[in-house]
Amino acid sequence: MASQDKLDGELEASMQDMENPLSSNPPDGDQGAQALDRSGGNGSAPKKKRRASSGSSGAQKRVAKKTTGKKSARGKSTRAARPRARERIAFDPELFELPDVQEELLADPSLQRRSRQLGQELVHQVELVIKRLMRLSPAYKTQLAVPAGMHDAIGDNIESALEGSGGTGLVARFQKLLPGEMIDLDTLRGMWTMLKFTGEYQADVVKRRLRGEYETDEWGMDQEFIDAVIPLFDFLYHKYWRVTLNGVENIPEDGRALLVSNHSGQLPFDGAMLLLGILQQHAAARFTRALYASWFPTLPFVSDLLVKVGQVMANDENALRLLEQEHLVAVFPEGYKGAGKLYKDRYHLARFGRGGFVKVALKSRAPLIPVAVVGAEETYISLHKSATLAKLIGFPYFPISPTFPWLGPLGLIPLPTKWYIDIGEPIPTDQYPEGSENNLMLVSQLTDRVRDTVQEMINDRLRTRKSIFKG
Amino acid sequence: MADERIILVTGVAGFWGNRAAARLLEQENVRVIGIDSQVPETNVVGLDFIQADVRNPLLVELLREEAIETVLHLQFRESTAPTENVFEQNVMGVSKLLGACAQAEIKHIVLKSSLMVYGARPDNPMFLREDHPLNGPKKYGYIRDWIECEKYAQEFREQNPGATLTGLRFGHVVGPQVDSPMTRFLREEEAVTLLGFDPMLQIIHSEDVLSALVHAVNGEYPGAYNVAPEKGMPLWKTLGLAGKIPLPVLHPLAYWSVSLGGPRLAPMPLDYLRYPCLGDMQKMREELQFTPQYTPEETVRELASQQRIRKLFGKKNAQALDEDRLRDTIQRRKRARARRA
Repeated sequence: MASQDKLDGELEASMQDMENPLSSNPPDGDQGAQALDRSGGNGSAPKKKRRASSGSSGAQKRVAKKTTGKKSARGKSTRAARPRARERIAFDPELFELPDVQEELLADPSLQRRSRQLGQELVHQVELVIKRLMRLSPAYKTQLAVPAGMHDAIGDNIESALEGSGGTGLVARFQKLLPGEMIDLDTLRGMWTMLKFTGEYQADVVKRRLRGEYETDEWGMDQEFIDAVIPLFDFLYHKYWRVTLNGVENIPEDGRALLVSNHSGQLPFDGAMLLLGILQQHAAARFTRALYASWFPTLPFVSDLLVKVGQVMANDENALRLLEQEHLVAVFPEGYKGAGKLYKDRYHLARFGRGGFVKVALKSRAPLIPVAVVGAEETYISLHKSATLAKLIGFPYFPISPTFPWLGPLGLIPLPTKWYIDIGEPIPTDQYPEGSENNLMLVSQLTDRVRDTVQEMINDRLRTRKSIFKG
Repeated sequence: MADERIILVTGVAGFWGNRAAARLLEQENVRVIGIDSQVPETNVVGLDFIQADVRNPLLVELLREEAIETVLHLQFRESTAPTENVFEQNVMGVSKLLGACAQAEIKHIVLKSSLMVYGARPDNPMFLREDHPLNGPKKYGYIRDWIECEKYAQEFREQNPGATLTGLRFGHVVGPQVDSPMTRFLREEEAVTLLGFDPMLQIIHSEDVLSALVHAVNGEYPGAYNVAPEKGMPLWKTLGLAGKIPLPVLHPLAYWSVSLGGPRLAPMPLDYLRYPCLGDMQKMREELQFTPQYTPEETVRELASQQRIRKLFGKKNAQALDEDRLRDTIQRRKRARARRA
């Protein structure tokens, strides 16, 4: 239960239990089971149950203990764990022999420093994106006078020229070009002209967009908007999470395909990284339309942002229409159950919805391409899901982590883990006869097959991964 | 005159009835009888006007005596307040008219409705098909009336399988002379929007609405059809093209204000400024075989430039000095030629 992610010592004990399912003990389980049910895990019940040292009970106590009492509890574990009979997918005990995030982070001070640095840079990048968005749409800034906007634009340009991420700033580059530290007046003048030009150009963009002269596609995707946000995701992809993308050649050059991925990490960054990876590394630079849950359209700015970067609300009609338009579509069938997963359940796939994605694939005869994202699970350490708070503010889940909500928005800064995205071999759906989407047997078989493939791909990656932060 | 088609148009004193009657009369071998409880202000040449209300019980007699073949029902008031008087006219009007048509065995009826009947909801598919349930707000003035009318129409279809009842569900209608919820919204000094929401809208020109009505009267198209240009447009873009300054309001405050009976903020429920409510145009394209001529950009630009020029030079010069309008017209005619070729 909540104490599941505790100790390596316990892990061994529990694994022995796995082999010996009959060894059970009187559980203090009722309370624990309730806590689990409350945390929304009914569909995604942990695949096994590991009991911690005797006597610890009560969810809060366990949460507190997890963050502090790691060492003290070591070795005290008894063979008290009880496996779940409902075990269905291939469970791999090796998963849990991997080092824990906290352990790894505490053991290496340089990692802590690097992580802090990256966090600061991320905040800076987010600020830059917000500034760019303000320029694109007055929705992000209520009063927008054009001269002020122009000043802003020029100021930002100077800023980015001076700072630029990673020392690639204009000035730095100029200084490298020039002998010594001398910068002559002409260079400065040239720079000023350039900056003025871009400033004026951007002011023009503001005015033009205020006049409504920009294009979107029928789903509302706005290329200018994407150009404004992409630098942030570029930073996240290349520097922050150092994503390694494998198997991009499994995605067809053109035509419809349905990517099916695991979902993790509280915030849907995995979708964004998958999208960017395919866009940048696929030979045909394909743009992925990811489907998002129906809760997001109710959120201000989030709904706007998702639509403008080409994402689409998840339902059968939309998915079918996208596939019939020969788009590359990505789905996360685990949904909230996957994204809001507790840390202890990491890399255990939740139920794959009701198999709606398989029906859509069968109906549109699009191949199913399994995708495994590894690394996203550790970006947030969700210890507990507060059902009360979630209900209060209308969220589908409300994670409690060591940093969130205690540090406010800063608690949302994810950990800079190393990510792997593996794209598997396509599973064709065109060999089935027409109308197969009504064959519930086939649908559930295919759903399980995709799910097991994704789980296997995750397990394979976890087996070879040595460090959460370094890969 | 046996080969003459006789068409009854209701609400000829209103904008839609008047224009549609004039459009129908442009064709040959057509006789148009118009009814309304009021006398139309603008005279339509050739229109056979009878002063009568659709709710009159003697309507059956009229339908029989005049040997009417087709009924185009355009008497509808788009009022935001759910008053009894308007409900009586809109909903009871349709129910009584359909009852009379069933009795007089009229085979062809055309009704005008709106895409708003589907309701703007977060879990909607992006493009709603005609068979999607009508989930629009059940308490909001004209939308409630439309939904009720659609229900009567559905009942009529079930009870009279021999008759052809065409229901056209139009997107947001915009045009230089129209008074519709959307034009009211775009003509207000400051357009209220919900902060952080920018739904897609489908905007159709009033001329295209008239063309679609005439098209439906001339053919046999049973069932309901979404009618709007294929391409939607974000709300902010629409406001930008209309030259409006968007006034973003925090959405909980806006909802709160409306539910407490504060200012109405917009001539439509706030959900329509928050979630998309778009129709799927496949059925229009393939079964109705109708294509709107105006792009949504042209439609909104025309409204905006008319307003701008009218402010400076008065109504008379508005058309003469309108550059945008002529440019768009040239483009539109070019597209039409290309389509024919």
